Amino acid sequence: MALYTLDSGQVAAGVKGREFSAEEYIYQLLERIEKVEPKVNAFVSVRKEALDEARVIDKKIRDGEQVGALAGVAVSIKDNICTKGIKTTCASKMLETFVPPYDATVVKRLRDVGAIVIGKANLDEFAMGSTTEFSRYGATRNPWDISRVPGGSSGGSAASVAALECTVSLGSDTGGSVRCPASFCSTVGLKPTYGLISRYGLVSYANSIEQIGPIGRTVSDVVLVLNAIAGADENDHTTVGGKPAHSLRQRKGLRVGLVREFIEGAEPRVAKVIHKAADTLAKQGCGCEETSLASVQYALASYYTIAMAEASSNLARYDNVRYGFDLDPEGYEWNSYFAKARSNFGEEVKRRVIVGSYVLSSGYYGKYYLKAQQVRSLIKRELKALFKKYDILIGPTMPILPFKIGEKIADPLRMYLVDIDTVVANLAGMPAMSVPAGFTDGLPVGLQIMADEFQEQTMLDAAYLFEQAAKVQRSPDL
Amino acid sequence: METKIGLEIHCQLTGAKSKLFCRCSCDYRGKAPNANICPICSGLPGTLPLVNQKAVEFAGMISFALDCKVPDEIAFYRKNYFYPDLPKNFQLTQYNAYDITSIGVEGRIEYGGGKNARIRRVQLEEDPGRLVYEGGSMEASVYALIDYNRAGVPLVEIVTEPDFADPKEVRLFLDKITSIIEHLGLCDTKLEGSVRCDANVSVGGGNRVEIKNVSSFADAEKAVRYEITRQRTMASRDIEVRSETRHWDDARKVTKESRSKEEEQDYRYFPEPDVPAVVLGTEFVSSLRQSMPELPDARKERFVSKYGLSAHVAQVLIDNKHMADFFESAIEIYSSPKEIANWIVTDLMSFVDERKKEQERSLFLGLKIGPEHIADLAKLVDQDMINRATAKQILGQIVRTGEMPSEVAKKTEAGKIDDAGALAQAVEIVFKSEQAAVQDAKHNPNAANFLLGKVMQLTKGRADPNAALEMIHTRLNEA
Amino acid sequence: MVTKEEVKHLSWLVRIDLSDDELERYTLQIEEIIKYLDKLDTIQLEHVKPIVAKKRLSDLRPDEPAGFEGNALGTKYRKDGFVKGPRMV
Repeated sequence: MALYTLDSGQVAAGVKGREFSAEEYIYQLLERIEKVEPKVNAFVSVRKEALDEARVIDKKIRDGEQVGALAGVAVSIKDNICTKGIKTTCASKMLETFVPPYDATVVKRLRDVGAIVIGKANLDEFAMGSTTEFSRYGATRNPWDISRVPGGSSGGSAASVAALECTVSLGSDTGGSVRCPASFCSTVGLKPTYGLISRYGLVSYANSIEQIGPIGRTVSDVVLVLNAIAGADENDHTTVGGKPAHSLRQRKGLRVGLVREFIEGAEPRVAKVIHKAADTLAKQGCGCEETSLASVQYALASYYTIAMAEASSNLARYDNVRYGFDLDPEGYEWNSYFAKARSNFGEEVKRRVIVGSYVLSSGYYGKYYLKAQQVRSLIKRELKALFKKYDILIGPTMPILPFKIGEKIADPLRMYLVDIDTVVANLAGMPAMSVPAGFTDGLPVGLQIMADEFQEQTMLDAAYLFEQAAKVQRSPDL
Repeated sequence: METKIGLEIHCQLTGAKSKLFCRCSCDYRGKAPNANICPICSGLPGTLPLVNQKAVEFAGMISFALDCKVPDEIAFYRKNYFYPDLPKNFQLTQYNAYDITSIGVEGRIEYGGGKNARIRRVQLEEDPGRLVYEGGSMEASVYALIDYNRAGVPLVEIVTEPDFADPKEVRLFLDKITSIIEHLGLCDTKLEGSVRCDANVSVGGGNRVEIKNVSSFADAEKAVRYEITRQRTMASRDIEVRSETRHWDDARKVTKESRSKEEEQDYRYFPEPDVPAVVLGTEFVSSLRQSMPELPDARKERFVSKYGLSAHVAQVLIDNKHMADFFESAIEIYSSPKEIANWIVTDLMSFVDERKKEQERSLFLGLKIGPEHIADLAKLVDQDMINRATAKQILGQIVRTGEMPSEVAKKTEAGKIDDAGALAQAVEIVFKSEQAAVQDAKHNPNAANFLLGKVMQLTKGRADPNAALEMIHTRLNEA
Repeated sequence: MVTKEEVKHLSWLVRIDLSDDELERYTLQIEEIIKYLDKLDTIQLEHVKPIVAKKRLSDLRPDEPAGFEGNALGTKYRKDGFVKGPRMV
């Protein structure tokens, strides 16, 4: 049996019920990875040790010991999330040899429930990008069409799940970086309310906006992982109290708002699939109607101002003195050493750090950063008002279909524009997720579902309802 | 020529047990390099700052003690600049240019007997690491050596308005600050580097010069004095004083042009996203008021009203917390406040080595006595067991030996002779041997003092002079 | 209008060496990006307050020291426990 096609619930049940061993399952995955990686390039590093960990779980079960809810389940972790003892590079030369001495809280929590880290997933360097083309380790390719981008920045996470190289994944979402690749790779990807999931161990890019989020092939996968990792953490002051638990429910009569600006901004082939999705929801008893989110037009400017400003400060620590790559400091004056070492950032990172410094520099704070923060307030206000009328807001996750590798890489601003549908949720700190909506011309389209803050359950209700009704194909021919 | 001096004081919260943003110990002195660090204070990727609640409370106490307004909420800002001792290449601090976010603003304190200085702000921030140079100097080393043990230790920065007009005022003000800090118990000012003071100096309306790298309060006065002289000299030669930052060279006791172009820095301040605004709550100030240790001024008040000390004596006691504590411990053993205060402020202080005091900042270092000795001494004097002169002698002895005064008194029979019989005997002996003086004394009262002197000599100073003189007069009148 | 001088100054501020080619290319790209960000000037924002997250003083970290088991420093350039860094002048 192809164990790598199972979802996490099935794996956990199967391993616990001794239908198959965790070792067998992990072995198959490692084989699959070897077969498929040359085409997909989803991983920065793969862990053969996963097999040993699987054996340990099998033994525990044989001995009648307790195992966690996700025991044996293989997870790939985006390589900007710290894993103790496992190299964490952020796809950058600046962290070439960095081995974290600690686990991110989310990694610890997954390990606590028995999940197995099978590898570190590829990403745009320091999570800055929408296509995973800005990685030192080469671009990840879309499993549905390997000449095309998988989306980004968590491209490796989504591709590894879509290509059946692992069962679930953790990515990070600053401006859409979980949802975009989830959409392009036809997987489910969720960005939680800001503060729901601990960022301790997530290498900061834009820390007032980003969140770690689960990616899986089904809504149930995402729910299981979400429940394992969400909840307050004393190691992160920005997490909110409590330990929420979400479930798969049958819910009728959701009030759905279809965001006009998102639909109108999408290319026709995408819009068509989304309209069909809205119909599907309506047939399931939801009330769908068109609505407007006017502040969308300022969202990108606000997002990039804030993200780049915070990035320029968050990345200042990479001076190669305490960790980085091998460059003997002897003989250098410190300013020259810093400047030379840091010239090893990739282009996109360098650009964003410089722009970020510009918008924060003396005299410009009020013009850019402060205004961008005020725009966030406006967006949140507008969304709050809409969520009084609607349970969820929907639209396309991406305005376009997955494009060819190299197509947008020369024009930064053009690249930024693809985030138009996703940044709104980040700016407002509200949850949003992408579920596969269908295929057009063989390429995946994702339906984005947004909900009010801390209303992940409502969002998941809609996602589950849609998923069950739409029955979109789940794995590519690789 | 109008001189304006403003101060920027940095005070480590050595009373806190852990650093400002991580759980590492604050007690870094004497530890092996980089033995007191963790992923947070060494700026590892993915780490987040975790604010120390006690540090905020301590900073609140200082704010309050300096009569500052404490806001309802405080926030932290990033001050972005690159430097090898700064693990994140930004410092987490506070900033008021956009909103008031620091722990205290607009305070005022009285110092030096009637003078006033305004406090512009009080803020919480983290200390950077330390740089050490091979071969001892910046110029000679091929590389810098970095120790992050100190990185992240909580600092309270106190910024004054330029309300000081001369170095003496600076010194008096810093003494007051030291007293306040010591009384609050949140910083041990005796520890090396625990208090630092930068100064801004301008003379005659000229440009302002910032003096950095002043590592102790004692040096602050010297640095300011030097800088004023430097500026005055330049002004007298019609040379314009440039607005700049200068470094205090502790070895050569001069201010030097600064190597790093600090004025060109653009710190790109913005609020720290990883730390929400901290809501202090309306009861913050009132609960601080209750739990705070007694401040020096209040203590002085209490000494005057409760113990009847003179304002002057009370002031001397509180100027150094050590002394005030010593006093209160002593009176707990034997309650004679005025007597004990006097012994401490006058006699004991004469044994304090001024040099030692400044170097080691410990008042009674090297003296082998504690409050119990003074209490004992005061008791002996109060109960007329020994006279004052004897007591002073004993004190001089016990500061070196550490013996209890009553032991010494017993040993050397230094007990006062109040036994009338023994006294009468002594007077008898003197009258017999100084017959000429006795005749003299019948007419000349001053000669009686000569006889008294002889009695004191005979009794080796143990006689009670009043009783002896009375006895002499009585005898003279009899004869 | 973002000039090459400005980009050069900023790259110094953030300690990143740029080649002449990079300086040339980035200046154009950055100018375009800043022009886009100038969109923020077109909205009415006078009475809008930014969202500020809050936390109670009592929810901050208690003052209890704890050591870190493990090696926080990842460079091999060390001397007697110190981290070797580039010289100061």
